[in-house]
Amino acid sequence: MDGAGNMQSEKSKRDFLKYVLGGGLMAWVASVVYPLFAYLKPPKQAEVEVSSVKVGKLATIEKDSGTIVRFGNKPVILLRTSNGELRAFSATCTHLDCTVQYRKDLGVIWCACHNGKYDFNGKNTAGPPPRPLDEFRVVVQGEEVFISKNA
Amino acid sequence: MSSILKKTYEWIDKRVQLETLVEFMGKKYVPVHRHSIWYYFGGVSLFLFIIQVVTGILLLLYYKGSEQLAFESIQFIMSKVQFGWLIRSIHSWAANLFILSAFIHMFSVFFERSYREPREITWITGMFMLFLGMGFGFSGYLLPWNELAFFATKVGTDIAGVLPFVGKPIMVFLRGGDEVTGATLSRFFGFHVAVLPGIFTVLLSIHLVLVQRQGMSEPMGMEDVPASERKTMPFFPNFLLRDLLFWLIVLNVLAILAVFFPWELGKKADAFASAPAGIRPEWYFMFMFQTLKFIPAKVLFIDGEVLGVLLFGAAGLLWMIVPFWDRKSSRGEKSRLINYVGLFVVVYIIIFTTLGYVL
Amino acid sequence: MKGRTWQAIVALVVICSLTSTPFGVAADQCRTCHEALGDKPSTLFKRDIHSQKGVSCADCHGGVASAEDMERAMDKSKGFIGVPKGDAVSEVCAKCHGDAKRMAQFRSMIPIGQFKALQTSVHGRLSTTGKERIVQCTTCHNAHGIVQVADPASPVYPLNVVKTCTKCHADAAFMQKYNPSLSVDQLEKYRTSVHGMRNAKGDPKTAECASCHGSHEILPAADVRSRAYPTNLPGTCAHCHADAGYMKAYGIPTDQFEKFSKSVHGVALLEKHDLGAPACNKCHGNHGATPPGVESISKVCGSCHALNADLFSSSPHKKAFDERKLPECETCHGKHEIIAATDKLLGNSQEAVCSRCHSERERAKGYQVAGTMRSLIDSLELLERKAQLLVSDAEQKGMEISEARFKLRDVRQARLEARTKVHSFNEGQFREVVAKGFATALVVGEEGQQAIDEYYFRRLGLGVATLIITIVAISLYMFIRRIERSAVHKQTSI
Repeated sequence: MDGAGNMQSEKSKRDFLKYVLGGGLMAWVASVVYPLFAYLKPPKQAEVEVSSVKVGKLATIEKDSGTIVRFGNKPVILLRTSNGELRAFSATCTHLDCTVQYRKDLGVIWCACHNGKYDFNGKNTAGPPPRPLDEFRVVVQGEEVFISKNA
Repeated sequence: MSSILKKTYEWIDKRVQLETLVEFMGKKYVPVHRHSIWYYFGGVSLFLFIIQVVTGILLLLYYKGSEQLAFESIQFIMSKVQFGWLIRSIHSWAANLFILSAFIHMFSVFFERSYREPREITWITGMFMLFLGMGFGFSGYLLPWNELAFFATKVGTDIAGVLPFVGKPIMVFLRGGDEVTGATLSRFFGFHVAVLPGIFTVLLSIHLVLVQRQGMSEPMGMEDVPASERKTMPFFPNFLLRDLLFWLIVLNVLAILAVFFPWELGKKADAFASAPAGIRPEWYFMFMFQTLKFIPAKVLFIDGEVLGVLLFGAAGLLWMIVPFWDRKSSRGEKSRLINYVGLFVVVYIIIFTTLGYVL
Repeated sequence: MKGRTWQAIVALVVICSLTSTPFGVAADQCRTCHEALGDKPSTLFKRDIHSQKGVSCADCHGGVASAEDMERAMDKSKGFIGVPKGDAVSEVCAKCHGDAKRMAQFRSMIPIGQFKALQTSVHGRLSTTGKERIVQCTTCHNAHGIVQVADPASPVYPLNVVKTCTKCHADAAFMQKYNPSLSVDQLEKYRTSVHGMRNAKGDPKTAECASCHGSHEILPAADVRSRAYPTNLPGTCAHCHADAGYMKAYGIPTDQFEKFSKSVHGVALLEKHDLGAPACNKCHGNHGATPPGVESISKVCGSCHALNADLFSSSPHKKAFDERKLPECETCHGKHEIIAATDKLLGNSQEAVCSRCHSERERAKGYQVAGTMRSLIDSLELLERKAQLLVSDAEQKGMEISEARFKLRDVRQARLEARTKVHSFNEGQFREVVAKGFATALVVGEEGQQAIDEYYFRRLGLGVATLIITIVAISLYMFIRRIERSAVHKQTSI
């Protein structure tokens, strides 16, 4: 008689365990599947914002203009001369580290902080900058423009 | 619920004769004895390999394997892709745990002499898989294209190049050129995701089929114990469930490692920068690296490095063919020599690996 | 013999017998003869300091001074060298003037390093003939009428130095041979300066060529050792201009060097050796040294601080300052004691320079604009600091946040631009610049916060996953035990 009672409690124990195990397994599966699906969903920034920068299409870069582009953690200024040539230099002024810009009216790379000027070869031509700007390599593949470190 | 399962089972069984397979599986027994614990390491290694394949495929969806983009793509995975940090860190940690587990598995097999007849092929495929595993580690290490990896690859392939006659061609083959460049990265990527997995899968299949066919090896001396007193447990479901339990714990360990010890990325590789201080190979190569450092530059007429590489090659070969020269074990006799050899190798590896980090 | 000659010989004999020297009873017979001849050198030599000190002709020209006989006196074998040419000239001078013992014998306090200094100076270079140095001692000091520097007759007396130097340095044709790019109008410029005008009026204390360039050791201004090299120049000017006693008669302050050394420019130039920073000559001119006029100060400062100067010139302050004869940039920033311009200069508080003219009642519009600008730039600084803290925190926690770190540069740049834009004194333009900074700082702060949140989310996620796995593991283990127990149960019951 005792045996029958035992059997009952045994059975309920068994069921409880099965529920816990089953429930736990389902939770586990969910905890694996959820990150998996989240991972597969493309992030908002669809492409790698990359150092060897793909700047964009050549056609979108105006002649006689300069833009600042992010290269890793440093700014790089990409110039396109009036006859279409592409040049890229570090945009950190060699004097006191301000970010330089292209001045279309002056036809030079200019630093707003102390009137430092660089020419189209990155050479420091006027003002306090002591050194030229480091040059970067610009490569055009098909229609895309890429900047990379100078080899 | 169970009726659906039953119906599915019957549907498949009619076409594939599952019944025989299920019977076979039901009859499998795993010996239970003092050393049974080691049986789990094969499974853990397998589990970790599966983890690598799964996380590796996931990483493939976002990784870009060129010199310009490799580093940044991993930066992207770590910071922009949801749970990308988790997948990447798990992949890097599991790689190391896989090799550790494979080593433990190998040594436990060695000391149990499970390589003896009829399991020679199992042992050999296993050894090859260990070497492939280290190749996976070496090729995968370069893929983030960071400073440490770049120089470690340089040093590693340099060492390959010291072999007489074949060294240089092998080095050029590995590097895709004379120097470590983007071409090396492409090659290593190809090795890592296609060549090595392909070969590994073949070897793994052979290894697993053999294990299934031959069953688990019993420790030497078990033959003396009468059949009725040998304790066993059914593979299915007991051993399998225990295996799964182990795997679950390993998975949790990986998750903890990924959160608290995320894998570093370092600085992007720059071929023109000088090598940073503290270039070392990964820990599973360390003992060999450290040995090479100790060998004098020239021994008699041979280059120290060449001697080192050849010695390790010879040692590895001898180790691999142990089933064939350990006559005693094949005969079922105890052999102290194997214990001594194994102990020496284990102690050597531990000491030299430690030295590599301490010196 | 002719009568004249006889006279000469008699005079010679008489004079030779009468003259005596500190060297001994023997007279300087060279002089005796040559004076009788009446030639230029001996005439000049009468007034020469060397003559007064008892130096004979033979001490420089060699030969025997005591010999009456010409042949014996001018005997080559006795060291007679005739008229020395080229480098031999300076070597003769250096024979004594470079010898400490020798100079001590004459109880002279003149330094003895001049020849060495001349040799290594720019004047010590070889001339176009290639056979001798450009300048010899006699070039500036003359040969026979040498007097002390303090003697107004000396060509290197302060009032005469200019004439001596410009003998070559104002001669375009001559300078063309050595350094075509060197200007030759220094004298012209000099005469427009206070130094030059005073010098012309006869003030020996004022600066002339040697005061700044040195005398024997003259080096090109681009040479780091030169007194005129930018990092040395303030010290050179201060030599007089910081000496209160020396400058007493002139009634101008003597604290400029002290102030300059503490200023931004002084620290940059003198301590950090930043040659981009101005030395005295950058603002005051070199040879035409004059303090810049009141309306041109912004142009002078603007030669480096171009943007600020442009903005100022087109701002309402330009007219207002010029009308009140206020020295533009200097009014707010000072001239020699310029300290790093911080936001504290702006605004309505007592320490702000704006409050000197603007108050709630007087020129109230400016007062308001100043207050607005200050509060805007303060807010921007606060936002930048917040964003920086968040990014640093995320970095410390090991999160990958390099992109946000990069964007912080732009915030810093916006603050820099805002400080420059202050000089437009135009609220609209100022707001534009500051708005850009605000936007970026907010974005960066958000990204930083997101990274930090993600850090905690990961740990939370791990906790949850671990909990689930632990529950599954325990229940799985119990399940296994149960299976095995029932198997044993089955076995034993069989």
